[in-house]
Amino acid sequence: MSDNIPLEKIDDYHWRIPRGYKPGMRVDGLIYADEKLLKAIREDKALEQVANVAFLPGIVKSSMAMPDIHWGYGFPIGGVAATDPENGGVVSPGGVGFDINCGVRLVKTNFQYDDIKPKLKELVYALFSDVPCGVGSKGDIRVTSKEEKQILVKGSKWAVEQGFGTQEDLECTEEYGAIPGADPGVVSERAYERGRAQAGTLGSGNHFLEVQVIDQLYGREECDSLGLDLGQVVVMIHSGSRGFGYQICDDYVRTMMPCLKKYGINVPDRQLVCAPVNSPEAQQYLGAMRCAANYAWNNRQCLMHLTRKTFERIFGMSWQKMGMHLIYDVAHNIAKLEKYEIDGKEKILCVHRKGATRAFGPGHPALPERYKKIGQPVIIPGDMGRNSYLLVGTEKAMQETFGSTCHGAGRLKSRTAASRSINSDMLLKELESKGIIVKASGRATVAEEAPQAYKDVNDVVDVVHNAGISKRVCRMRPVGVIKG
Amino acid sequence: MAHYLFTLPKKAVKDYELLEHTADIGIRVKASDLAGLFKSAALAITDISAEKQKTQYPEKHKIVIAQKADNVEELFVNWLNELLSASAVEGLIFEDIQINQVNENFIDAIAVGCDIRNYKVNTEIKAATYHQLKVQKTASLWLAEVIFDV
Repeated sequence: MSDNIPLEKIDDYHWRIPRGYKPGMRVDGLIYADEKLLKAIREDKALEQVANVAFLPGIVKSSMAMPDIHWGYGFPIGGVAATDPENGGVVSPGGVGFDINCGVRLVKTNFQYDDIKPKLKELVYALFSDVPCGVGSKGDIRVTSKEEKQILVKGSKWAVEQGFGTQEDLECTEEYGAIPGADPGVVSERAYERGRAQAGTLGSGNHFLEVQVIDQLYGREECDSLGLDLGQVVVMIHSGSRGFGYQICDDYVRTMMPCLKKYGINVPDRQLVCAPVNSPEAQQYLGAMRCAANYAWNNRQCLMHLTRKTFERIFGMSWQKMGMHLIYDVAHNIAKLEKYEIDGKEKILCVHRKGATRAFGPGHPALPERYKKIGQPVIIPGDMGRNSYLLVGTEKAMQETFGSTCHGAGRLKSRTAASRSINSDMLLKELESKGIIVKASGRATVAEEAPQAYKDVNDVVDVVHNAGISKRVCRMRPVGVIKG
Repeated sequence: MAHYLFTLPKKAVKDYELLEHTADIGIRVKASDLAGLFKSAALAITDISAEKQKTQYPEKHKIVIAQKADNVEELFVNWLNELLSASAVEGLIFEDIQINQVNENFIDAIAVGCDIRNYKVNTEIKAATYHQLKVQKTASLWLAEVIFDV
């Protein structure tokens, strides 16, 4: 519970934890939420974590939390923090998390729901069988040690070179599918071992592949530009860097533990362990973290390739003919060096997004030509019974949140509480009665990932839209769900 | 139910309790000594994540795990993360732990594992974290609390 934490209302969607709340906070906490979500947010310790992040040396503006914020470890999930390397700013592996570049991509199709409805069950079962998923799943896309090193540098481009996609896919991926500065030389042998077998696998827990149908349009101009319409079928893929990323994070949390003393850093939670961005420890972490980010982009590219192949098999035509073009792929666990104007001065900041999505506004130089006018597509997965969203980034996000917005619905109930209170058989029947076919590796996952375990994504998206840090484009509902 | 014949000894299963956490899973472990504490926490990982269903691959594999750290809390996290990492790389689920030596800065142990294909794995534990970590000696017991990223 966070009842004791002082929260000042700035307006209907902005709340402040004053820096005076805890000695050692360098900036205020800033929460994006409305009254309704705030009640849920106060139920756990996420707000305390927002205050803790405000201790990070060199933090700029505020320790921010998106409306899907919930209790994590170290950083809250839904947290955004930017630090200034010129002012002692740090990078914290805990501000990225173990699943480095966990993220999501959205693929469109030319199908309307009625076109796929007769084959939906067959499609879902085929996807479940063709896309490796579940704990420790190993993929059919086997890579050698040499290839793995290439993946760490090339990211999605490696998959495209193998014929698992096109140049257009790279253009429609954050960082064009490969963040520069990846350094395979600072990756441990153990990380290599963990990563090798898991390329092209979905994973488990909250990772999923969903067949969805657009059920609400908000931005006509953006929908026209993206070629999206009511009733259209899309596919959403949520996965990350698998064991490779977990190992990188573990390795560098260990490496940085002595840095607290070495650099005289005071943080209230050891999971916020960090080092000045310009220190050798931080530079090595960033080099390794970028390897994991590139691994994850390649992974989602491979998963999309497998998805396209399955659609081809079920519907008997090429993916190009089915219009299965990638709309965009975004990371939601990452730290990046990005340029912002602070007090009239241009600065390169280290922006941590832990359960938060980049949401660059129209005209940003990092965007491909096709999205310069409408802004960066932002993909927000909800839960398997309600909705997901496509948004675009805004100029206001650039001004307020270092070009960031929410990343999902945000958990409401713990996994253990969900498992105790939800009967997975009944849930599956209930979802089927709503026209949602679910295929999961384990029953436990179904209960843990039940809609009741999450906040309503509609409430979360209302806040980011109304606060102006991203703009609604369209809403989707799930019809087929593959869970790891 | 037949598969209970192959699950962990009951004692190991009872040696921990779950702590509530919104996104992740926390455990509390108590033991009369450090060896028991480290062993129970290790076996709790197995109990949370996997359920033995068959013995098709009965061979036991022994993995040496040796870790050192500046203090007992870091040692505890390193130990658990090393087990998770070794389990993933070797494709094993650890069914027994034999501790050769442990103090607050060092552990030398053998993790005895069985092929993961004998198990139905329900939950992937990514790592042990330092958030709200506790490893303490009370009057009569050692107590540890740790939150896992899942």
